Amino acid sequence: MSLMHDIDFTLNGVRRSATVRVDMSALDMLRDVVGLTGTKYGCGEGECGACTVLVDGLSVNSCLMFAVDCDGREVVTIEGLVEDPASTRAAALRDAFVGHGAVQCGFCTPGMMVQASHLLDKHPHADEAGIKRGIEGNICRCTGYKKIVDAIVDVSRQERGAGK
Amino acid sequence: MDIQHYLAPSSLGQALDCLAAGDVTILAGGTDVMPQSQAGKLQFKRTLMNVRRIPELIGIAAQGKELCIGALTTITELMDNALVQRHLPVLADACNHFASDQIRNAATLGGNICNASPAGDTLIPLLVLDARIELASRTNGKLNWRSLPLAEFFTGPGRTRRAPNELLVGVRIPLPGPGRAAWFHKSGTRPALDISTISIGIAGTLRQGTLSDVRVAFGAVAPTVVRAPRTERALEGKRLDSGTIAQVAQIARDEVKPIDDVRASAWYRKELIHNMTKRMLDHVADA
Amino acid sequence: MNVAEKTRFIERDSLIGKRIVKMDAPEKIEGKTRYIHDISLPGQLHGKILRSARVHARIKCIDVSAARALPGVHAVITAADLPHQRPIGVARDHFPLKGDKVRSQRDEIAAVAADTEEIATQALKLIKVEYEDLPILSDPRDALRPGAVLIHPEPQFAGAGQEQLKKGAPVAYTGKSDNVAMRFDYGHGDVAQGEAESDVVVEDTFQLHYVTHCCMGVSGIIAEFDASGNLLMYSNTQVPFLHKREFADYLDMDPARIRIIQPPIGGGFGSKLDIYPFEVICVFLAKAARRPVKLLFTREEEFLASPTRQPVLLTLRSGCKKDGTLTFRQVNTLHDNGAYTSWGATTPFVMMQTFSSLYRVPHCDYHTVAVYTNNPYAGSFRGYGNLQATFAIEQHMDMLAEAIGMDPFEFRLKNAQEAGEVTGQGMSFKSCGFKDCLNTVATRSDYQGKRKANEAQQKAPGAIKRGIGMASMLHVGGGAKIYPSDGCGTILKLDDFAHVTLITGASEIGQGSETVLSQLVCEELGLPMSAVTVVNNDTAITPWDVGVHASRTTFIAGNSAIGAAKKAKIKILAAAAKKFECAESDLDLRGGWVIKAGTGEALIDLPRLLRSLHFTDKAELVMTTFYYEPPSVHQDKGYKGDVSAAYAWATQAVEVEVDTETGIVRMVKVTAAHDVGRVLNRLGIEGQIEGGMVMGQGYALTENLMIENGVMKNPNFRDYKLVTAPEIPEMDISFIESMDGEGPQGAKGVGEAPAICIAAATANAIYNATGVRMFGLPFTPERVYRALHGEAEKLSWKPQ
Repeated sequence: MSLMHDIDFTLNGVRRSATVRVDMSALDMLRDVVGLTGTKYGCGEGECGACTVLVDGLSVNSCLMFAVDCDGREVVTIEGLVEDPASTRAAALRDAFVGHGAVQCGFCTPGMMVQASHLLDKHPHADEAGIKRGIEGNICRCTGYKKIVDAIVDVSRQERGAGK
Repeated sequence: MDIQHYLAPSSLGQALDCLAAGDVTILAGGTDVMPQSQAGKLQFKRTLMNVRRIPELIGIAAQGKELCIGALTTITELMDNALVQRHLPVLADACNHFASDQIRNAATLGGNICNASPAGDTLIPLLVLDARIELASRTNGKLNWRSLPLAEFFTGPGRTRRAPNELLVGVRIPLPGPGRAAWFHKSGTRPALDISTISIGIAGTLRQGTLSDVRVAFGAVAPTVVRAPRTERALEGKRLDSGTIAQVAQIARDEVKPIDDVRASAWYRKELIHNMTKRMLDHVADA
Repeated sequence: MNVAEKTRFIERDSLIGKRIVKMDAPEKIEGKTRYIHDISLPGQLHGKILRSARVHARIKCIDVSAARALPGVHAVITAADLPHQRPIGVARDHFPLKGDKVRSQRDEIAAVAADTEEIATQALKLIKVEYEDLPILSDPRDALRPGAVLIHPEPQFAGAGQEQLKKGAPVAYTGKSDNVAMRFDYGHGDVAQGEAESDVVVEDTFQLHYVTHCCMGVSGIIAEFDASGNLLMYSNTQVPFLHKREFADYLDMDPARIRIIQPPIGGGFGSKLDIYPFEVICVFLAKAARRPVKLLFTREEEFLASPTRQPVLLTLRSGCKKDGTLTFRQVNTLHDNGAYTSWGATTPFVMMQTFSSLYRVPHCDYHTVAVYTNNPYAGSFRGYGNLQATFAIEQHMDMLAEAIGMDPFEFRLKNAQEAGEVTGQGMSFKSCGFKDCLNTVATRSDYQGKRKANEAQQKAPGAIKRGIGMASMLHVGGGAKIYPSDGCGTILKLDDFAHVTLITGASEIGQGSETVLSQLVCEELGLPMSAVTVVNNDTAITPWDVGVHASRTTFIAGNSAIGAAKKAKIKILAAAAKKFECAESDLDLRGGWVIKAGTGEALIDLPRLLRSLHFTDKAELVMTTFYYEPPSVHQDKGYKGDVSAAYAWATQAVEVEVDTETGIVRMVKVTAAHDVGRVLNRLGIEGQIEGGMVMGQGYALTENLMIENGVMKNPNFRDYKLVTAPEIPEMDISFIESMDGEGPQGAKGVGEAPAICIAAATANAIYNATGVRMFGLPFTPERVYRALHGEAEKLSWKPQ
């Protein structure tokens, strides 16, 4: 019987607790314990980025993180990102992804969105090359990346234009 | 083995007491522990100890003639740190070729060192920068500190001289003096997200086209990252003309004894060591 | 007194060629889409499969007692529990659960259904299997040598009934006396004559490697029997109606009692065109456990147990006259069939089309054999053999041109077909933009100038060399008549508010079919995209479609949707004509209104007209159906015939930078021109081309599934390299609109095209950069480096 452990953390802006197996990944906790399925399992070894979430404002692969390590931290998933009324960036990214055709099967998209949001946070003036480097840890098999990069470049320009 | 205890100590003392009791798997960023345990390559010990909240392991500061980097420093923090960028740009450069942004945000320097990969990207610059690591332990209530050169720390793939009751606390790197420079190369098709086929680190004091006090390190050509003493001797104090460079590249190729594996053959690795050592030295000579 | 209504005029507008956003993009972006991995049924159990620990071995015994006894385990099944198990696959040589032997690393031995994934995984570890090793056959060249170990020598079921042993019975019941899985033989003209007429002949052996689909969403299935014994499957199959019928066969069930619901898919690319053991196993688990069972792959399992692209050993002999006329092609290929037969064995159907008809070839001869080995088996994968065939053909086009001293572009142009031609294989090119593709690419990429300049730099100092290479491709663009029907059905209904429900048999696999079909319907009915809801994922509701493959969906499902929309329009305009006492031809539909066709004057908005049709004594709803069967034909026994209603071409020029000191090839730019008939959804088609090109880039440069002695060495993303964002080339894409007469609004299929000729063009580019030609894929750094430094062995293979 695996050891269980209680944790207390903030998920998408709301304080909550969870009881998790000690060897459980944050990804499995989010999907199976909390029930938020927007974050995806792509590979379980940190190579594809489908499981990207924000922890204390930084993007990480939730498949590599231990659930118990979420204790005391602020976690934001795709659901929280797009639901945040204060975030104009999430809305801008969503509209850009739609408008530029950056979504085909959509499986990589939540991870891309979270990573893009973090990328623009950290590098508000990122150019196309910088954006490509910024999503190097997110694999897409459908789009060939071009429209995803176009969408993020578009939002970056918008934000620069708005003097962010 | 099922984990029987989990704790997340909030001080170095607590952590060392736990280690003293024995049978502990240390968890920092999790970027190696999680995939390795899922793949069955790592068996959990009875206790899982999360060290991420230990303040003594955090921070980068200049202390005298050294830069002290806490073991919990993430690769991103290392890369973005102003002191690292100013004094140890080769280390920041290597971090920029490490995995992906998501992994850099979680992976720690201490974890990377203790994972002791023969291809470890941060390990190569640390070797040529003469890094020393600091280990702490507690025996009979007494705090012990041990410092040793990184070059002496690795004993095999994934194996180090860290005793089971020791915790890697930080890394100390001498601040390079005037004229001191260092270079890093990682072979691969991607800017990052690649386990290097080979990697090379070179450091030296560059004066009038000559390198002295030379350090050379190679990755992915031996069971651990290694210094290359014969290559260093061949470079030491010599004028960097095309003849010397050709000779040094040849010696580098002969010095390494890589293996064939799923990523590359030994022959190709030797070719890369030769060609890229030459390319790096050409670049140094042009500078 | 009535207030006078101002007369409205509706301007002409068209959706065709516009950038239409994908209809399900918003929910996918917000993480709200529920893929199969995200679906949980009440009471569901988790299924897991125990796979073989050996590559080739007799199974001496399987002990599941400890697994059965583990708390939380509801069912453990092996072949012994399924005496009526039937073989699956194209050659019916494959039992889902193996009882006699394992023939490859991924072979399924037992399966568990348990309360949680952890318990199921634990239970697997408790199953004990005893094996008796057999010699491993891993080189297809050894498969037909005398004394080679046979992969299917005996019936797989001890005590198979006599009637099952009759001639023509499935391989699983009869066994085989050799390792031949399939043969194809094709010819048109007389290659001996062709060779006699040639001034130049070249012959080379090419080797095409293992790659795999790597869909971002791993495979999975949920199976549930209801209280009446009806079966419901949540499946990501690309061929739900074929699946339904086959499952009925395997389960000995009435097909009417099987229903398949298709959740949104995390990528297809052809990986979900066959029936696989895990699907049948999950159904058996659900039966045994009497609970719904959900079975998902891990990523490692996805690598191990998914079909691959067909690896091919190919010897090509081609000739031409010194004036540049192609004379003949003689091709022999050896296909590693793996341990069991899937669609990979039928790739010769497609390869033939390229050998016989890519450029004008008067004489062609093609023989192929697929042989059993203990390697993984190949399935269908975007391009379906065409990448492999084009790799060889387009390198020989360059080599022939060089041999006669002709510019490779001019050589291609001279032999490129035009509209109206019929090939030696009977393919009739009604619309053909081939020459336009060639000319567009040559001009936009400055192919001829760059090629000469690069050639001049080959021996110059400097480690980095630039090269440009060209290749074209031909693929079916109007379906492929390989099943008894190549059709698709549509049901259309309009409600009282002019909202359209489009019920189509065509599945959506990320390529945007739901959006383009809606676009075609809206164009016909003069409605905005917001007016349509698409239902395409439930066999209980949707009409038959053969499946998503062969780049057929826009063409076939598109024509089907248009057919249903046209019928609706006729009904609507008939009603309006009666109401406004004019001829139907005086009216049209535009902007949500019924208008006067000549002036655009709005007469009545469509919702009001529909309600006026509905709420009367002779109440009528507008509901129509249409089944579209393309006017193509089945091939005859010699594989000749006009198998598709339309064909599509593309030319691509790839520019590379080769670092000769590392062997690293960087794809700098791709200039492409695609004959798509007509651009429908510009945003969607660009996405298909860009994605396909990067998939081709992976095939050429980075992806390599390494199989050694039947064991997969890199079943993970760490060592199987997919292309990442920083590696993509600059892309210049042109569309040639040849306006196909049969295609929906003139459009032809494009899903597979962009992936097909990248590797060939890259090979030609590396030759241009370095003077070294590489005859085997992939062009990974060490392989390129070895070739550049004379350390690569040149393959030479001839069939026995």
